[in-house]
Amino acid sequence: MKNKFLVIGCGRLGASIANSESENGKNVIVIDSDPSSFDRLNDSFSGYKITADATDISSLEAAYIKTAEEVSIATGNDNVNLFLAHLCYDVYKVPKIVVRFNDPDYSALISGMNIKAIFPFELSLNKFKTLEGGSHK
Amino acid sequence: MKIVIADGGKTASFIIDMFKSRENELVVINSSHTQAASLMKNEHISVYVGNPWRHYVLEEAGVYGADVFIALCEQDTDNFASCIMAKKLFGVKKCICVVNNPENVDLYKKLGVDSVISSTYLLAQSIKSESSVESLIKTLSIENDKIQVIEAVVLSKYKIANCRIMDIDFPKTASIAAIYRKYQIFIPNGQVTLLPKDTLVIVTTPEHRKDVLDFVQKEK
Repeated sequence: MKNKFLVIGCGRLGASIANSESENGKNVIVIDSDPSSFDRLNDSFSGYKITADATDISSLEAAYIKTAEEVSIATGNDNVNLFLAHLCYDVYKVPKIVVRFNDPDYSALISGMNIKAIFPFELSLNKFKTLEGGSHK
Repeated sequence: MKIVIADGGKTASFIIDMFKSRENELVVINSSHTQAASLMKNEHISVYVGNPWRHYVLEEAGVYGADVFIALCEQDTDNFASCIMAKKLFGVKKCICVVNNPENVDLYKKLGVDSVISSTYLLAQSIKSESSVESLIKTLSIENDKIQVIEAVVLSKYKIANCRIMDIDFPKTASIAAIYRKYQIFIPNGQVTLLPKDTLVIVTTPEHRKDVLDFVQKEK
């Protein structure tokens, strides 16, 4: 049964997603290659923490990728995120995939796939435009 | 042919030497200034400095419609991203990348990279085929061990010696692609008689290799 919520990359975004989904009662598993990054998780975090390199498929499989219902990919490296998104979509058929890309050009590389992407650059730019627009009023 | 070579130090230099000719148009991209400078100096070729997984770098370097894209970055995932971008957004016909982790060979192919090369993987395969060299048998693996080409010499004590191919009920899982006889190569048909000292070039799959060899080497 697919019921796990996988978070790959425990940076600020990854850790925040893991904390809130864990509070919502989801079955959360966090993967990061740096164990000190797990310090960002709340004390009440009830999921699993796995120290591993997520680009190595044997460690991904040890993190129950095959039973993942949802995966959030937010490592600091766009290329790693791109690879993991393609892998989760093509090989493991994860139903819901959310990925973070710093480079907005990467949106074209996941077109036609059931992958949702977050672009901090575009979000910041849009926010800037609304703030700018507001200041003139 | 239009060939793009992305990143790589010594390897890039070697490949540039191999393809540098009037027929080939080379586009060289390198993310390191020092490596780019040394390539320019040694190869007398212009090098575009930038990360090959960036859209604007590939665009400005003029990668559109290239025949071959070779990614030689140190990180496997960088190569993956570069190849996917070149293929999806720049209409490159064939993408080749190198990887450090041999597990990535099949994976990257599955995800859309045309050709993936791992030196560890090749080394392991070559050790495997070297160690399985029985007397008079040589094996060559192609397509990452999906096809095997076996070279086997017919001895007079074998059951198949002096028989026509149509009479010996050769395994369906293999085919005699060519026969090497007295310094000449020919493509056989069923009428051909196998003579002692003939070298058979047999094409088969790794699973059927043993059955085929057992059949060929069956003694009278």
